[in-house]
Amino acid sequence: MGKKRAIILNTAIIFSFILVSLRLTDLMIVNHKRLAERAKQQHVKVEDIQVRRGIIFDRQGRDLALNLDLESLYCDPEKLAADNDDIKRLASVVEKEPAFILSKIPHEGRFAWIERKLKPETAEKIKGLDIEGLAFLTEAKRIYPRRELASHILGFVGVDNQALEGIELKYDKYLKTMGGKVFLQRDASGRRISSGVDMEAKGNNIVLTIDEVLQRILEKELDKAMAQWRAAAATAIMMNPYTGDILALANRPAYDPNRGGEARDAEKRNRAITDCYEPGSTFKIVIGVGSLEEKLAKPGTLFDVSRGSIDAGGKTIRDVHKYGVINFQEVIQKSSNVGSIMVGMKLGRERLYKYAKLLGVGEKTGIDLPGEVSGWIYPPERWSGTSMGAIPIGQEVAVTPLQILRAYSVVANGGFLVRPHVVSEILSPDGQAIVSFKDADKTRVISAKTAGIFKDILKTVVEEGGTGKSASVGGNKVAGKTGTAQMINPVTKRYSKEKYVSSFVGFVPADNPKLAMIVVVYEPKGQIYGGVVAAPVFSEIANQALSYLNVPREDDMELSHLTVYR
Amino acid sequence: MLNVDRRLIKNFDWITLSVVILISLIGIMTIYSATRPLSAEEHSAFYMKQVTWLILGLITLFLVVSFDYVWISRYALILYITGIILLVAVFIMGKTGMGAQRWLRLGPISFQPSEFFKLFYIIMLARYLTIIKSPVDTVSLLRIFLFITCVPFVLLIKQPDLGTALIIIGISLSLVIAKGLHKKVAVLFIIICLISMPFLGNIFWEGLKEYQKSRIVAFIEPEVDPAGIGYHLTQSKITVGSGKFFGKGYMHGTQGPFRFLPEKHTDFIFAVFAEEWGFFGCILLFLFYLILIMRGLDTARLAKDDFGRLLALGITFMFLIYFLINVGMTLGIMPVVGVPLPFMSYGGTALLSNLIAAGILINIRARRFELFH
Repeated sequence: MGKKRAIILNTAIIFSFILVSLRLTDLMIVNHKRLAERAKQQHVKVEDIQVRRGIIFDRQGRDLALNLDLESLYCDPEKLAADNDDIKRLASVVEKEPAFILSKIPHEGRFAWIERKLKPETAEKIKGLDIEGLAFLTEAKRIYPRRELASHILGFVGVDNQALEGIELKYDKYLKTMGGKVFLQRDASGRRISSGVDMEAKGNNIVLTIDEVLQRILEKELDKAMAQWRAAAATAIMMNPYTGDILALANRPAYDPNRGGEARDAEKRNRAITDCYEPGSTFKIVIGVGSLEEKLAKPGTLFDVSRGSIDAGGKTIRDVHKYGVINFQEVIQKSSNVGSIMVGMKLGRERLYKYAKLLGVGEKTGIDLPGEVSGWIYPPERWSGTSMGAIPIGQEVAVTPLQILRAYSVVANGGFLVRPHVVSEILSPDGQAIVSFKDADKTRVISAKTAGIFKDILKTVVEEGGTGKSASVGGNKVAGKTGTAQMINPVTKRYSKEKYVSSFVGFVPADNPKLAMIVVVYEPKGQIYGGVVAAPVFSEIANQALSYLNVPREDDMELSHLTVYR
Repeated sequence: MLNVDRRLIKNFDWITLSVVILISLIGIMTIYSATRPLSAEEHSAFYMKQVTWLILGLITLFLVVSFDYVWISRYALILYITGIILLVAVFIMGKTGMGAQRWLRLGPISFQPSEFFKLFYIIMLARYLTIIKSPVDTVSLLRIFLFITCVPFVLLIKQPDLGTALIIIGISLSLVIAKGLHKKVAVLFIIICLISMPFLGNIFWEGLKEYQKSRIVAFIEPEVDPAGIGYHLTQSKITVGSGKFFGKGYMHGTQGPFRFLPEKHTDFIFAVFAEEWGFFGCILLFLFYLILIMRGLDTARLAKDDFGRLLALGITFMFLIYFLINVGMTLGIMPVVGVPLPFMSYGGTALLSNLIAAGILINIRARRFELFH
């Protein structure tokens, strides 16, 4: 082989090595990112894994929903060595028919549930039977240790921990997922290889604005009212009027979320936000605030209601009592329908509608619970001739109890519309706050001055001569308003003569409100007036709540000052 | 016959031996990582088998070095005929694996006769080219292709072992050129090849099995169906591409052990190595192969006779062609023809025959000054 040929050969070999190295550079360095991404896509999958749902706490850290480890029985049909006697014994332990057990065992496959989330003693008994092919897996069962308490807020989950109602449903994605994603490595045949985290992940915990003690007081008094008035249903909501924090919320009838699947629809209804009613006199806040803000009336402005009735579009509206000539403050205090319609006429359709909307009527409050409805109020162009005789006194409109409470909170907090909410914080499993709702989301809708004047008027409602005197609380001034409305008979579409909705909404202490609350009683028997049926419930709850919250009695103020300085 | 004198030890080619052992150990290490189990299962025994074959192969290598290679030329025809018989035997009682019939069972061990045959073929060709005059005339050229190459080529294609078949063609062409070819003969040969190309190409294509055809289609357009025929190629590129400069680290590669990359410890072992050791690791490995090949060419230059020169050249070309085809297919610049990477890929017979080939190289170099024994 000649020298020339040797050089050519060597060059060719070196060149081929360089060629291969260039290709190597192309794949490993130039195209590295793209190819590595494809490799990752192949073997890293994001997957749902069994999640231990987060715990739901009240605002003081008391647990309202937690998890209990229970054993679930499954069988491996290939390994199962059970004769008929074994099946019979197993059936008697789990209190089912043998045929039921047999129906759970498939002919093929390696895994089948037989009975989920067994009681510990049942699981022990099954282990005692010592049947080959049966085994247990620990599963987390959701339990609600306070049973009915706050059931409409908490909601519940099904047997596979699927969220069905309430906070469980609304915040499901937080309760069942963690702060980060779960990456699993899989091989080409899809087998799980390893994962960076435990196979059982923990969900995020939720801290509610609810206070268990206040909730308990509210529910206890609601139960009493239900019994006393043999009512069909009842709702009460307690809220911090400045922040929109719901402190307690309950409806009757209610249900035990531990057996949520068995609850009837009527029991599951969260009437506070999902049911509309005609508010009646509590709606007079709209003409009251509107005429003050528009400077059409002052507390002393006089209205002649001595006829005891007023004509609106051919329909006559009457007062319960004849009052003679009364001022604006007394129109509200005594809840004069004739006076209110006079004020409404002065305000006019457009402005009446405007203030109703400003106070949040006909719009969802945005509360973080599922199923909220918006209610409705017709725009002025759709009003009929009789509307001016109805809307100022809370007819021909539909509201939820929460909407009315929010409207009165505007007066309580000096003019702001707040967004009610039940969740204050979402905490990761290691206790870090992921989401915090502490910043109040509020909009000014009326002036502080108007709010102040109307608050003073609302105080007189609970004083001597007002309709809501029985709402008064020992030691602290209450500001509020009664409401009595006829229910519409769903068959005849006319106002019912027997069925009423009695309500009271207010806040206390009036000049420095700690809580705003609405009590609504549906279809009370024997009495119908809000001042008689709902106002005492407000008084009872508020009394206990203020003492729990250590709110000093206004009439003790001087005494407590003395104590301090002594 | 055992002729272990001082000069033999003095001239012993330690460089070739070291490089070969080094690459073999890298191979075993990579096999260990590529076949590592993912869960609690036991580690597959591939790497242990390869260690056994390495020890066996090194003993054989020293045996091959111990006698003068000139003896080999005397047995060239016998070895060649034995090789042909073995290839025929594969047909009659061979064991099928991976859609091809390549293995022959001999007591407890199975081996691939084609791995030995390529060595016998090189010896035979070197022997024949030594006898004839240089440059090669038309008659000799026809003899080489019709009598020495044609029969084994057909037998190998039928197995089918496309890789080895292509490699013996490559070796014969390069050895004939190395021997020297008349310009007129060369031109005639090229013209004949060009004219018969469509005709032969058709026969070649029709003779291929379905999976071989699809591999060639996949090479031309690998992204057509990544889960189907292009799968090998796409997975191989993904695996290599995951490596970057320094790789994922030994035992940290994923594509091989996770079973995305097929033939991870055999034909595609380079991809597994590339993923774990990165660009720089690959360049280092290339350097080892380059040393082996340059050393082989140097041995051929130094050889004391024509047979030694042609034999050393043939073996060196074999290593080179294997290396280029294997790395080329792993990197997606050659079709997937299924040839192992010498000394790296898992496979006992291949390792043994490659070590024997290396032993012959060492033998030729060590005896470069001996004119007679």
